[in-house]
Amino acid sequence: MFSKHVTKELSAYCHGEVTSQQSRQIAEHLIACNRCRIQFEEIKLGVKLAERLPQFSAPDSLWMDLQTRLAAETKTNKLAATKLSAFSFKFWQPAFAGALAGLILIAGFGALWLYSRESRPFWEVARLNGAPRIGSSRMDEKGRLAVGQWLETDGSSRAQIEVGSIGQVEIDPNTRVRLVETKPTEHRLELAHGKMSAKIWAPPRLFFVDTPAGVAADLGCAYTLEVDDVGVGLLHVTSGWVALQLKDRESMVPAGASCATRPGIGPGTPYFDDASENFRVALWKLDLGYIVDGYIVDTPDLHSPLEVVLTESRPRDTLTLWHLLSRVEGNDRAHVYERMTALAPPPDGVTREGVLQLNEQMLQQWKDKLEKTWEGESRLHKWFGVGIRAVGNVRGVIGKR
Amino acid sequence: MEQRAVMPEPIVDERVIEACQAGDREAFRLLFETYKDRVFSIAVYSFGGDETAANDVSQQIFLKLITSIRQFRGDSAFTTWLYRLVVNACTDEQRKRRRFLPFGQATPMSKIEERRPQEQRYAKLEIADSVQAAIQELKPKLRLPILLKYVEDLSYEEIARVLGCSKGTVASRLNRGHQALARRLIHLRNEVAE
Repeated sequence: MFSKHVTKELSAYCHGEVTSQQSRQIAEHLIACNRCRIQFEEIKLGVKLAERLPQFSAPDSLWMDLQTRLAAETKTNKLAATKLSAFSFKFWQPAFAGALAGLILIAGFGALWLYSRESRPFWEVARLNGAPRIGSSRMDEKGRLAVGQWLETDGSSRAQIEVGSIGQVEIDPNTRVRLVETKPTEHRLELAHGKMSAKIWAPPRLFFVDTPAGVAADLGCAYTLEVDDVGVGLLHVTSGWVALQLKDRESMVPAGASCATRPGIGPGTPYFDDASENFRVALWKLDLGYIVDGYIVDTPDLHSPLEVVLTESRPRDTLTLWHLLSRVEGNDRAHVYERMTALAPPPDGVTREGVLQLNEQMLQQWKDKLEKTWEGESRLHKWFGVGIRAVGNVRGVIGKR
Repeated sequence: MEQRAVMPEPIVDERVIEACQAGDREAFRLLFETYKDRVFSIAVYSFGGDETAANDVSQQIFLKLITSIRQFRGDSAFTTWLYRLVVNACTDEQRKRRRFLPFGQATPMSKIEERRPQEQRYAKLEIADSVQAAIQELKPKLRLPILLKYVEDLSYEEIARVLGCSKGTVASRLNRGHQALARRLIHLRNEVAE
């Protein structure tokens, strides 16, 4: 591991301008060093911004202006006229020039097409069972998934993807995924339908999975993600944290918890898998309402779902309640606050008024305190994860070319 | 000023360069078509969004290219040679313009500001516009490496050759440029994260 800080190397690291050994060392240092990680986030943002830099089109008149200027300079400058005379008529024979330009253009486009096809970044894929397909071709034992290509498994096939050098993704049967992007600042997969399991060892927010109902952003370690035929997704985290996002709606899901996400709505409220069944069913109703014949209907119940969720909640379920604070309104929010206070009182400086008004700073302070409760049982997983990262399974974050 | 996505371009290889050196007008047209947008883009960014100045200096660059392409001996890549020409032309022109401006008068770098008052700039949330404006506010020594990296897609080694400095200096200037961009446009963090 680099004993010194790596801030000076971060742009070169993002651009793949360091050796693979340096890349590994920098990645390991970033995981261990908070100071450099903060700088890395800043540089990464700078890189992403610079990538949006537009290229301008030269005005159509530039060629004509150039010709005019050339003619003028030819007149006034004898020396220039001598140098430029070769351009006047020597090779200016329409048939010859046209044919040459045509040939050059065809050769150029052909070479460019071949070059861009060959140089697309890719991930390596291994067949685990059956006959997975990459694009329209059945893959052998090993294959390459290039940016833009789809990997598809049928009912009896499975595959394993090496995510650049930052992790692995296992693709279950009946799954369709596409490699959207792989570069040092971002690795992105699209899961159209089916199920995948990811193990990632890299700094947070480098690996993303797009689904029809939101984006899963890896904050470290391991999770499974499945998407059904209508685009409804279910995330289950086995180690570390994952953020599930759609536009402004975000759910933070720790190890041992799950979260559903629905097209057009986004992530639901996360819950621990060991919560009571009543709790989970009530939460599902609270998030989505009731589904009758595929339609969401607002059916009154003897007990409101919120009432059930609050009654059944344990200190650990403050994970769910904390997310609900900003998703319910008025008296319901006050009820959630009361229940949370009973289960895990807020830290000093966090007031009822502030929380009910969704003061971001206070919500964050309370969350920071609650995280210890949420991670209690999964702390072993967390330290195991840190251990994995620290001992050198981190193999850099550069996608292969 | 029109902006557009980067389109595939014909490749300029040794044969095209040789044809240009031999005075082939069509080969030169191919060279011009390949590089005109990139040359113009660097000029636009170098002159604070001033299209007229960018057009003028682009013409100068291509004129210089026509008259001196025979001196290109292939010791370095053609692009390195070309971009050195571009960077030198833009720097010389900036010096000239500064010399002719009365003392205390703003340089043309402020033109983009005149056309886009602060409130209009903030109202316009288009990321590319914000990045463009932020790039123009950078010092030339931080701006040039960023342009050569992101507009011209050059490697650190190539940028170092164009600018006549070491790879380490390029890395350091890019680092500072990225940081400056991130700090200036931190409010766009969520937009670019998507």
